[in-house]
Amino acid sequence: MSDLAIRPAASSRPWLPRLLPYLLSLPALLVCIGILIPFGTAVWYSLERYNLAMPYTRGFIGVQQYIDLFTDPAFWHTVQVSLIYTAATVGVELLLGLGIALLLRERSRFNNFVSVALLLPLMTAPALAALMWKLMTNPGFGVLSWVVSLFGITNFKWASSPSTAMLTVVLVDIWVYTPFMIILLLAGLRSLPQQPFEAARLDGVPPTFVFWRITLPMLMPYILTATLFRVLDSIQQFDIIYAMTQGGPGDSLLVFQVSAYLNFFQYTNVGGSAAILMVLWAITYALSNVFIKQWQKLRERAHGTV
Amino acid sequence: MERSDTIWRVLRGLALTLVIIFFLFPIFWILLMSFETNEQVLAIPPKLFIHPTLMNYVALLSGKLQTAAGALDITFMRNLWNSVLLSVCSVALSLVLGVPAAYAFARFRFRGGEDIAFTLLSFRFAPPLLVLLPLSLYFQDIGLANTYIGLIWVYQLICLPLILWIVRGYFEDASPDVEYAYRVDGHSWWRAFTRIAIPLAGPGIAAAALLSFIFAWNNFVFALVLASADKQPVTVGALAFVTASGIQYGQIAAAIVLSILPTLALALYAQRWLVEGLSLGAVKG
Amino acid sequence: MSLTIRNLHVAFRRNLVLDDVSLDVAPGETLVLFGPSGVGKTVLLRAIAGVEPAARGQVLIDGRDVSALGPDRRDLGMAFQNFALYPHLAARENIASPLRARGVASAEIEARVGRVAELLRISHVLDHPPRALSNGQKQRTALARALVGQPRVLLLDDPLRNVDAKLRYEMRLELPRLLRAAEAATIYVTQDYREAMALGDRIAVLHRAAIAQCDIPEAVYDAPVSVNVARLFGDPPLNLLPCRPVAEAGGLRVEAAGLRLLLPAAREAAGRDCLLGLRPETITVSRAAGGGAGTVRPAGAGGAGVPVEIVAATPLHERMVLLLRAAGGVELLASVLGEPPQGVPVVLQADEQRALLFDAESGARIPHVARTLEVVA
Repeated sequence: MSDLAIRPAASSRPWLPRLLPYLLSLPALLVCIGILIPFGTAVWYSLERYNLAMPYTRGFIGVQQYIDLFTDPAFWHTVQVSLIYTAATVGVELLLGLGIALLLRERSRFNNFVSVALLLPLMTAPALAALMWKLMTNPGFGVLSWVVSLFGITNFKWASSPSTAMLTVVLVDIWVYTPFMIILLLAGLRSLPQQPFEAARLDGVPPTFVFWRITLPMLMPYILTATLFRVLDSIQQFDIIYAMTQGGPGDSLLVFQVSAYLNFFQYTNVGGSAAILMVLWAITYALSNVFIKQWQKLRERAHGTV
Repeated sequence: MERSDTIWRVLRGLALTLVIIFFLFPIFWILLMSFETNEQVLAIPPKLFIHPTLMNYVALLSGKLQTAAGALDITFMRNLWNSVLLSVCSVALSLVLGVPAAYAFARFRFRGGEDIAFTLLSFRFAPPLLVLLPLSLYFQDIGLANTYIGLIWVYQLICLPLILWIVRGYFEDASPDVEYAYRVDGHSWWRAFTRIAIPLAGPGIAAAALLSFIFAWNNFVFALVLASADKQPVTVGALAFVTASGIQYGQIAAAIVLSILPTLALALYAQRWLVEGLSLGAVKG
Repeated sequence: MSLTIRNLHVAFRRNLVLDDVSLDVAPGETLVLFGPSGVGKTVLLRAIAGVEPAARGQVLIDGRDVSALGPDRRDLGMAFQNFALYPHLAARENIASPLRARGVASAEIEARVGRVAELLRISHVLDHPPRALSNGQKQRTALARALVGQPRVLLLDDPLRNVDAKLRYEMRLELPRLLRAAEAATIYVTQDYREAMALGDRIAVLHRAAIAQCDIPEAVYDAPVSVNVARLFGDPPLNLLPCRPVAEAGGLRVEAAGLRLLLPAAREAAGRDCLLGLRPETITVSRAAGGGAGTVRPAGAGGAGVPVEIVAATPLHERMVLLLRAAGGVELLASVLGEPPQGVPVVLQADEQRALLFDAESGARIPHVARTLEVVA
């Protein structure tokens, strides 16, 4: 495919046309490089025993770091917590989001109003959302504590108790991110061609059949893209959990990034935290490759051509 | 037939009303709380109809709080200013860096082009702490710790991928012939870029900028790791606010309201482009 | 103000669009670039303008090599096929763009834009944005933009294509005057052969990535260099009848569809498989002989007429197109003025002087050699 661009006059500066695209993207490229350096450093740190509080013990230990990590039950606890969090949040958000998107499918004044209103939680900073819910679940004066007490459940500990902390943060996550699912799935629903549905209606096909056999398959690219997007974000969630409990109570909410953060700042274990983050990065890298394929498919559809 | 239709319509209306209540209630409640005195906040059962007071906002804006224990300094306005500065400057820088790059990726096929574009995209999905933790050590060495410049540069991680991928789509959609015609008329390549390509991609650039601003404003972890108290934006500042002693709940609520107001307002203003922006150009709203 | 193209070569991946094309356009000359859709006329124009990155070769304006220069330094005017108007500017500003690039004073810009707009009948829409213009108005705006700068070289890509029929006819009369006044070397692209013949000082026929023939319109029409070129001109298209000529005194005897013609063509073609090309308007249809004394047969007509049956008659512009069937089932198209004879036996005669003979294998035309005319009494 030939270039679509016009290059500037070559006679005075013959090198300009060839180099122009590089010049244009050079600054962005520099930022790239600037980010890759700390990344490289993190890789290196993950192979080192490096603790800021004990600098004399610093040394290269290579794979041993990971072996220690994988044999540490705390690490597997982190994995478990992260997976539970991701599964709970993405699962509920997908189902809830799909349901609400189906309700909002028709274009009407009311539906448009609802769509706009639903943007608001999504645009709230997740850390601030956690703060809001922290206030609402305050055992002393929080409105949610009061509501729950009306049902006879007194002393619901919300984020203060290991057994209910997960529920609380998942709730906050659902509040913030379900609108993301709704928006994406709604756009997908509205972009579906009308003919199959009209034909089904003419043929008298029952609505459940239409949903499972027509709507859902056609919506699948959007569902996959949105789900992968959210999984990628959920598994590295930091803001909500840190703002709510800093990973507590105890270790009940120690997901990957929170665990790495505490490792770094509380225990000054640079090597250990780097290793945790590398594992997380490997997971997200693999997932994002899958995601990008789906995302590109949708992009081509949106733009008409590759 | 009609009866079941109406039943469905009523059920749907009911369901959507419940949905709206769930998603809007917290914002409404915090808004209410921001107009309450401490006594009103602590009252049980919580009251819906109260006599509003502006004392919380006054305290925040004036920076001084009168308590029984004496006057306390509140530095929240500084956090607000930091948020504004960081977000505006980050977006501005990312536009300057990103728009020409987006143009290059859209119009040229050059070696390494797609690789650079996808590397920038991958930043969106990589765990930020992976970069931030080593960076915090580097910054101390090179003196960028707790500086606006350092933060604005790192914020490019958030803004640049967004600008690049949204604006690139707009450039790709525009036919290059219009730019060619402008060149044939006698204008230089730079004028064709600034007078034709950029104006025609205007809506896309605006959308990308607005979305970048929202994401930059809402960011938490970047500033948590790399900034100290005097440079922290509202997201981190509000949290510190809560744990400080002597601060009253009404003020915390007012601080939250002031912190989320800009992004909510912008979101309402830019709602048309949000779908496209959120999906990085994969879905047109 | 002359334009020369040498060895222009454009290929997209494996698709060869222009193969070593060379052209010369004299100052003030209008060269029509003609060919079927998709053959590469637009690509050629874009290569000359410098907006075709895949182009290799040389472009010289007034002897100066501009091949390495960007399009903004070549001092051309170009009217794009898809208009390429600036959507965010009013028509007036679209047209003014070349003048602004040169830094012309505002007052003069206004005057010149006004003049061009009036010439092209778009004065009343100058303040509209392109999206508010009809296709014809957009096209004329694009043409105005190309003309307003009085460039040395004009590249017009089918500028009358989207203009409605009546306006197109008027423009076709005005354009030569406009172009002459502009004194530029002009390349005008069209797919309409009538337009080509009406507007062109010369016609360059583009076929299969090369210029098949470049000559004055009459020559291209009456003496096409190949059967491909001949086929591109004429509506309805010319009749092609297989034949094998026999050398005779005075030329070649050609027999086809019952016709016996003596063509003053070169002897070497004798014995070869050939195609006889008869343009529909060179065929006359008249009442069969026996219509009495005084029947006039046109001079140059090939002997006695061939009996034919009129299968169908369709009006085309001011003429009548007849589908004729001759002996042996051979079908021919004839284009005649006025009503054909009805209900009576008719015969067909062809004008030998204007008959074309092509080599069946190569497609090349076998040229006529000069000979004296015989008049049939």
